[in-house]
Amino acid sequence: MSTLLTHIAVSDGKIKRASLEVLSRMTQLAEANGHSSEAVIIDANASDHVEEVQKYGASKIYTIENPIFKNHQNTPLLKALSKAMDEADPFVFGFGSTESTKDILGALAASQDAAVLSDVSEFELTDDGIEATRPVMAAKILSDNKASGDNILVSVRSGSYDLNESPTDAEVVDIDFSFNEDELKATLREIIGASGDKIDLTEAETIVAAGRGAKDDEGQELIEELASVLNAALGASRALTEAGIMDPSLQIGQTGKVVSPQLYIAVGISGAIQHVAGMTNSKVIVAINKDPDAPIFDIADYGIVGDLYKVLPPFIEELKKIKS
Amino acid sequence: MKFYVCIKQVPDVDAPIQIKDGNLIQDTDRMVLNAYDASAVEEALVLTEEHGGEVEVVLVGPDKAKETIRKALAMGADKATHITTDDDVEYDSAVYANILATFFEDKEYDVISCGKQSQDTDAGLAGSMLAQHLDLPYATNAVGLSLEDDELVVKRQGDSGQEIIGLPQPCLVTCSNDMNEPRIPSLKGIMQSKRKPMESIALSDMNLDESVLSAKTKVTGYMEKPEREPGQKFEGEPEELAQKVANILDEEENVI
Repeated sequence: MSTLLTHIAVSDGKIKRASLEVLSRMTQLAEANGHSSEAVIIDANASDHVEEVQKYGASKIYTIENPIFKNHQNTPLLKALSKAMDEADPFVFGFGSTESTKDILGALAASQDAAVLSDVSEFELTDDGIEATRPVMAAKILSDNKASGDNILVSVRSGSYDLNESPTDAEVVDIDFSFNEDELKATLREIIGASGDKIDLTEAETIVAAGRGAKDDEGQELIEELASVLNAALGASRALTEAGIMDPSLQIGQTGKVVSPQLYIAVGISGAIQHVAGMTNSKVIVAINKDPDAPIFDIADYGIVGDLYKVLPPFIEELKKIKS
Repeated sequence: MKFYVCIKQVPDVDAPIQIKDGNLIQDTDRMVLNAYDASAVEEALVLTEEHGGEVEVVLVGPDKAKETIRKALAMGADKATHITTDDDVEYDSAVYANILATFFEDKEYDVISCGKQSQDTDAGLAGSMLAQHLDLPYATNAVGLSLEDDELVVKRQGDSGQEIIGLPQPCLVTCSNDMNEPRIPSLKGIMQSKRKPMESIALSDMNLDESVLSAKTKVTGYMEKPEREPGQKFEGEPEELAQKVANILDEEENVI
């Protein structure tokens, strides 16, 4: 019996859904293959989250608690993850593919001499490792990958697996962890534009995304009103984040976030492959664009050819009626 | 300051791709400088133009990757090292990081930079692997760089906000393509690039241990991604279309 370990990431006091998706998958693989599904929570208040992690089938939960984890910093996180690997000796160590994970995954693999596959959309266990599918070439193609060894790291794109509750009474093990400020190689000076209680794009059920076509004030107001009616998260194409019109953390695409909501409404977005790479797994895609030949219509379930300034006001009115 | 920028030659992701017997085929075979690396080169040029210093690019790849090195030199990099490999080897991120770590062992530098990922594989691992091997402070996914009192100040796009991180030098940083528009080489730059120093080192002459070059991960094949079928496209009176689509989303798709 081997250990399948999942890293539970916490941000702004909340567990990242991507972590619980990976844990759900790991628990399923552990049951099918006679392994043990375990989890490690690394946070300033790690023990507060034990109860929720138990719901997803971890039989053993490690907590590493220290105030240093209040904000993401790679040196302490790497130290904690290495410690967790020493304690749990995982055959496979899984991560939700967040920006924090992307920051440390390579370094952790190098320090642990572990095989690593990042940003996979599916994975299975094999006798000597894992097999995984990764989107490549701006997510136009899927590659089949093999990683072999006795300690393998894998990060999983958000939305790849459904949450699956299978509650257990987990054994909770607190891992002793100290961190001296002198050990910090870099200084985190400040964090700007933190989204706080806004809806996290990677976890949103509904997303309203704006592109070049909606760059003026009137366009922005309409987008915000649409998002507010649908209780949706706001997203943006690179054109708008680069122009400084929308916050860079809202960028969706190969460079920005990968999203998989139930409903994705693309407003004034032409649909360059780099943008599509980040949203093609949405369940229902609606596109509003005045150019009937815009590539976004090739992937949209429902396309409205028209001027967004004329389409959005009645669209918002109709949605308000439905909602009320 | 001495900047090393690690660059890679990659397929053009915008060119048409086919899959034959599990292999990727690009008829155009168009290879380009990785877009994220181009941003790293641009940023190194901007910082050294402002503060003085030298930019050297390093590329691990086959002979045909020379044109990509020329591109970086034409943009303005001062010199280059080409670590030459066989034509059709397939290394994973870890092997590239191992090769580069060996290269940097006896080098002096203030900053090593690279793109945050390759535009073909999107793995995003080699940068932090290299930092770990060289025991350097590092930051990934930089969207802005500046120099303040001997610290490299990195604006990093994190999960929710932008983290402003001070890195003592020497350090390593991986760059997003959101930090700048890489310059297009001028004719003068292209002419000058032909006279700039380019050193070639054969990988086989680096005396690397076999274990360092054996990949723990490999790509076993490629598949078409199941394509989304284009759906219904509506044209006509905005009010009617808006009502129609809103009602479909509510009644048929049940996503409102």
